[in-house]
Amino acid sequence: MVKFYCGNSRAINKVLSILCGLVLWHYLATVIVADTAFLVSPLAVVSKAYEMLFLTGELYPHLFASSWVFLYGYLLSIVVGVPLGFLMAFSPAVRDYVHPWMTTLYTTPRIAFAPVLLLWLGIGAGSKVAIVFLGCVFPILINSYYGMRVVDREFVELARSLRLTRLALFRKILLPASLPFILSGLRLALGRGLTGVAIAEWFGATAGLGYLVYFAGQTLNVPVLFVGVTAFGLMGIIGFEILRKIEDLATPWKTSHPR
Amino acid sequence: MAPSILELKNLSREVKGRNGEPFVIFRDINLSVRDGEFVSIVGPSGCGKTTMLRVINGLIPPSTGQIVVDGREQSGTGGDLLMGFVFQGAALLPWRTSLNNVLLGLEGRGKNPSEARDLARKYLDLVGLAGFEQHYPHELSGGMQQRVNLARALAIEPKILLMDEPFAALDAQTRSFMQLELLRIWSQTKKTVIFVTHMIAEAILLSDRVVVFSHRPGTIREEFRVPLPRPRDMEVKSDRRFVDLENTLWKLIEEEVKAAGGFARL
Ligand SMILES: Nc1ncnc2c1ncn2[C@@H]1O[C@H](COP(=O)(O)OP(=O)(O)O)[C@@H](O)[C@H]1O
Ligand SMILES: [Mg+2]
Repeated sequence: MVKFYCGNSRAINKVLSILCGLVLWHYLATVIVADTAFLVSPLAVVSKAYEMLFLTGELYPHLFASSWVFLYGYLLSIVVGVPLGFLMAFSPAVRDYVHPWMTTLYTTPRIAFAPVLLLWLGIGAGSKVAIVFLGCVFPILINSYYGMRVVDREFVELARSLRLTRLALFRKILLPASLPFILSGLRLALGRGLTGVAIAEWFGATAGLGYLVYFAGQTLNVPVLFVGVTAFGLMGIIGFEILRKIEDLATPWKTSHPR
Repeated sequence: MAPSILELKNLSREVKGRNGEPFVIFRDINLSVRDGEFVSIVGPSGCGKTTMLRVINGLIPPSTGQIVVDGREQSGTGGDLLMGFVFQGAALLPWRTSLNNVLLGLEGRGKNPSEARDLARKYLDLVGLAGFEQHYPHELSGGMQQRVNLARALAIEPKILLMDEPFAALDAQTRSFMQLELLRIWSQTKKTVIFVTHMIAEAILLSDRVVVFSHRPGTIREEFRVPLPRPRDMEVKSDRRFVDLENTLWKLIEEEVKAAGGFARL
């Protein structure tokens, strides 16, 4: 029974769930609301998306702009967040210096930073990447720090008992042990990063999905609005799937567990 | 009389207690262990047995005293790899297979990889895990995990094996099998073993000598030579001498526990 459930039927359930959602959406849009100024059917969204992708091609610049901003901000937070989290775990001094900033910046709503960053960095790419960066870096930083801190003490004793070098301790024990935590930080950062893209592009952008959604909202272009929202959703799903693949590759000892 | 391979001289360890005054975990340990000898340390839990093994292995420094191996004083985690530590929890890395867990202590020691792998295989065979090289720890039973733990300590080919209650977490039946396995492995490898346990029968079955620790602060209360011939099997447990020694040891530990304020204080 369990085995059966773990097999194809899990994929089937996922597809069924999505289909049910779409049918419900369609029903809501065409029967309950029945006003295309508020809500359009998924069919209308698909046909609009088709038009924007294959007929006019106007969606591409927005997709590229948003992906670019997201990737730069996200990668920058990994490059900064992971090593800084490790340093915090290893050095009480670094921890003391970073901690107050981390808690303040992490808990302040990022939307409050957006105008400030725009003021400082202008409406170019810099401010947008900075907004995404501010959204992503803290979950990555905190999880990298925490992952290092909670490594089983017995593993560290083992390394010392086997007289491993500090580098070997880091490479062979601390890093793999904290990897699952880092990956879950990356997952948290994904959603926050996409939110950051939307926020950044709401303020003085000329392209991007956030701009598209904002502009469509202002002009009451409901189909385009939903195309933008759906594109954000798809970017999130793609990101999640990529991270899942990475997790499967990086933690092979877990793949024999049912998910 | 064979020369002693391990000598503990006046060893003690204290830490800062709760109110800032020193808290002595164990003190005045003087022990001399012959090459190839199997010595057990028994004592009630919390008497400092694990801490003493960690001090002997150089993982934490002693407060006073010396550890001398083969005539050379040891300090910290520098120097050669002379001791293998078998941990109470198996301490296996979940992301490494059995083989790679055993290899951990062999990597980066100037051995070529295939040589190291042969060595790791040899010790997995010795502990009875041939065929389980590619299994991850979560795919192994508790007893098998302790076998990997033991193989990892043996694979670095240490002079001395330090074992910290390796069978304490196993069910009674598996524990008995593992005791017999350890007897076999010990007779095949001729290692010097310091074996910590709180189980009296286990100590007698395995050892040449049993050292009884007192309750807090831990110190050597008395030593006993085990007057039983080898090779041994489970039948020695009904031998008169085994039963007598077991009773003597039990009385001694009971006294220790009473002196410490009764069983509830354990
Ligand atoms: N770093 C430490 N600081 C304070 N107390 C400690 C420390 N390490 C061990 N102890 C105490 O020393 C005693 C002995 O611990 P342990 O060596 O684990 O005993 P055993 O292995 O015999 O059960 C325990 O009461 C423990 O709480
Ligand atoms: Mg202990």
